[in-house]
Amino acid sequence: MFLLWKVVNDEGFLPLADVLCLPGRAEQECPCDPRGWSKSLTVSTALELRNVIRRFGTVVAVNDVSLNVSKGEFVTLLGPSGSGKTSTLRLVGGFENLDGGSILLNGQRIDHLPAYRRDTATIFQSGALFPHKTVAENVAYGLRMRNVPKDAIMKRISESLDIVRLKGFEARYPAQLSGGQKQRVALARSLAVRPAILLFDEPLSALDLSLRLQLRAEIKRLHDELKFTAIYVTHDQGEAMAMSSRVAVMNAGAIEQIDKPETVFHSPTSEFVYTFIGESCCLPVRVTSAGIEDKKGQAVGLRLGERLAEGECRIYVRPSRLRLISEAALLPNQLTARIHFIEFLGDLYRYHLKAGALELAADHAGSIGHGVGDEIEIGWRNEDMRVFR
Amino acid sequence: MTDAVRIDDASYETQRTAQERRKLLAPWILMLPALVIVLVFFGIPTVYMVRMSFNLHMDQRLYVPGFTFEHYVNLFSNPLFTNAILTTIKLALVASLATVVIGYAFALLVWLKPARWRLLFIGLALAPLLISEIAIIFGWWMFFPKNGLLSYGLLSAGLIHEKISLMYTEFAAFVGLVYVTLPYCFFILLSIFDGIDKRLLEASADLGASPLKTFREVMLPLTWTGILVAFSQSFIWTMGTYATPSALGPDTLWTMGFLIQEQMLGKHNWPMASALAVVLVIGVAAVMVVTRSMQSERTSFHA
Amino acid sequence: MPDVAPRGAEPLVLKVLALAFTVFIVGYILVPILVTVAMSFNDAAMIRFPINVWSMKWYADFFGSPQWMDALENSILIAIGTAAISTTSGVLCAWAFQRFHIPFRDMWYILIMMPLFMPGVVLGLGVAIAFGGISIGGYAFYGSRELVMLAHSLWAMPLVFMLMEATFKTIDYRIVEASYDLGGGPVRTFFEVVLPLVSTGIVSSLLFAFVISLNEFVMALFLTDRDTQTLPVLMWLSLRSAGTPRLAVASVILALTVFTCLTVIMLWYIRQLRKVAR
Repeated sequence: MFLLWKVVNDEGFLPLADVLCLPGRAEQECPCDPRGWSKSLTVSTALELRNVIRRFGTVVAVNDVSLNVSKGEFVTLLGPSGSGKTSTLRLVGGFENLDGGSILLNGQRIDHLPAYRRDTATIFQSGALFPHKTVAENVAYGLRMRNVPKDAIMKRISESLDIVRLKGFEARYPAQLSGGQKQRVALARSLAVRPAILLFDEPLSALDLSLRLQLRAEIKRLHDELKFTAIYVTHDQGEAMAMSSRVAVMNAGAIEQIDKPETVFHSPTSEFVYTFIGESCCLPVRVTSAGIEDKKGQAVGLRLGERLAEGECRIYVRPSRLRLISEAALLPNQLTARIHFIEFLGDLYRYHLKAGALELAADHAGSIGHGVGDEIEIGWRNEDMRVFR
Repeated sequence: MTDAVRIDDASYETQRTAQERRKLLAPWILMLPALVIVLVFFGIPTVYMVRMSFNLHMDQRLYVPGFTFEHYVNLFSNPLFTNAILTTIKLALVASLATVVIGYAFALLVWLKPARWRLLFIGLALAPLLISEIAIIFGWWMFFPKNGLLSYGLLSAGLIHEKISLMYTEFAAFVGLVYVTLPYCFFILLSIFDGIDKRLLEASADLGASPLKTFREVMLPLTWTGILVAFSQSFIWTMGTYATPSALGPDTLWTMGFLIQEQMLGKHNWPMASALAVVLVIGVAAVMVVTRSMQSERTSFHA
Repeated sequence: MPDVAPRGAEPLVLKVLALAFTVFIVGYILVPILVTVAMSFNDAAMIRFPINVWSMKWYADFFGSPQWMDALENSILIAIGTAAISTTSGVLCAWAFQRFHIPFRDMWYILIMMPLFMPGVVLGLGVAIAFGGISIGGYAFYGSRELVMLAHSLWAMPLVFMLMEATFKTIDYRIVEASYDLGGGPVRTFFEVVLPLVSTGIVSSLLFAFVISLNEFVMALFLTDRDTQTLPVLMWLSLRSAGTPRLAVASVILALTVFTCLTVIMLWYIRQLRKVAR
């Protein structure tokens, strides 16, 4: 019997303390300090990912990702599904194991630690509240696991619920809460333990639009107030742009670009980032000595300000940056196209245009007095155009 | 920072390997109680039993260690035993058939009826499961004999003129056996039915098929695997039965289960009892394998 | 217009058939039950119909007889033991299967399920032969209640395992992850988060195991002696010799025990639902 215990507890007394939930473990394993945020971080870089790799069979979900998150930063991982953003987050949280690389939290390696030994707290998409526990018990859970004394727990619960504006909800059960309230409890629960880093796993995607906007603003407010460190995963650009200190655009398991939101939006470094952020129109053309032709070989009435090298390329413009008719005349890049159909989008009209095999859309605040079938001039500035090969 | 990582590397490795070892060991610790029960109280006895079937039996002793095939030979040559085997199989076949037919009709009834009846009928079907087999036997024991309810009821209704006894008949054994197996059959078939979209029946009727045609063309093919499963389950169950036929049926209705008990507790012939048990289990296993292969043939046909 | 089957005659025939069948099946299932209940109130010493005098005489006899009350006590104790053993082992095993990777998973699954397909006679025989005469520390194992509990668990544990396996599949694993995430170790998470999530499954398992064990008599016949015999065993032995209404009373008592447990569970279940879904 003793031998069995010995084999199982090779690490020493810690696992046993685990089982018996003895005090003393808290000080040894958990660097988090129930008294405040800043004391829990001893270095300015809160999280470091070094060449992290994660495979699922033959698929490489996270492909050699390296990332530094500073204390107090709010970094968003933005990308389509399958881009590896959620996998990366789960690797940090400890829900999945690395296949290569390392993760350091607060200067110490954590990738060998199970989730319950890491000083992270996750806000899940569905909230993942414990259905059989009250709101107060949910919020208290993490603190109990860290053996925080009872009166401190009570204080922390009311603080946390107060912050998320759910005071008075202590005795309710999750089944009695609305979607937005559930997410706020989830937030309170994670905030209560004052972790070194908060991990958000698409927390707002299950909510409807107005609720999403509301909670988005709340999270931003909380971040400004409490200055916690966070990694936020989403596929919604609006969220990413509105809330983050930096945005990391991910594609196929790698970070394509990581910058301040404005930089990512205005100066995308790759075709993927350009097309993923904001709306864009793609004009696939072939540049020859004779002129510019579309995919079918027909010449197009495209006049560019700067000469392009010969060969195939893709020209990108954004609908919001295109000017029509009279406004187009003064611009260096122009195209003659026929109106295919017109969309009314409330604030503006979107004109869908065709020029040979090229299709694009241009936005305009009011009606331009032309209808379907009319040919009009479209123009844009050099800086509003990107060319990728 | 890199220094911190380097110093940590040694302890990191030890922590990691300990962690991995824990993860490997954990499931086995959890499975331990279940495995102990199965291996110690089922595995060992099975091995013991098989070994025992080859032992000798002399005089009045329970068994004498040795090795002989005589019990198996006896089993297959002695008409006492071969009759019992055939009786068991025959009884099991007939009872299973009846159970499946009745069970199918019952499940169909419940499935087609509106929801408020469903709970009632499920409760009813559950009843035989919640009652001990011995209580069921006893219930029929008071129904069939000369002074039982059946006789009294028919007499009072004027349908017969003197007391009648159906006790200790094959029919009584049959009725009892079906009663015990019916709930299992019912629930298996009901769950199969629940997987079928009722609108298929509506579509069939809509296209002009009479209820009988709908049954033959739509219900039967869709539920065929369910029927097979239910039949094999009933068959396996009734093969191993011993109490109901011996209590309700005639003394000549010897099933293998009864013989096992007789050899064990009555004649104290452990090797013979074991041999009988082994043959029974192999028979049951054979049926299971055959049904399983028939099932998979069917599904691959569908795919 | 395609041919439409002639309406009128067929549905009526079917309706009548359905009704007749319903009457048949309800009657079939209820006969032994009603007969037993009726007979238990018979005043006479013989089992015969018609019942002329009704009384509770045999109930008094049952509760006054030490042999029968001991048998009842044995049955209940063994059933409780079986429920405890099989539910614990079944739940732990099902969780292991759900959460961890196990080499040769299918093989272990079949091994655990196998006793379920064995006839009770064979299981009883095996255990009796293997453990006949064995005593542990002076305490005779064979003929003891504990051995019967373990034998009954051979049937009950696979059932619990199957039920819990299906139940564990339905829980939202994110909730378990949330517990880990907040610092709950595996053991704490299991007791504080996982078990409450599957509480209905566990209670159902306990009930199943209890009922199976209470009613089982073939294995018990092989494995009990005069002191530890269960109520069904005693009933079986009395069947040939003493055919009195006392047997009917025993049947009713046995069934009542089961129904009491069932009702208690149902009430608890309803209370649970009301708490969480208010």
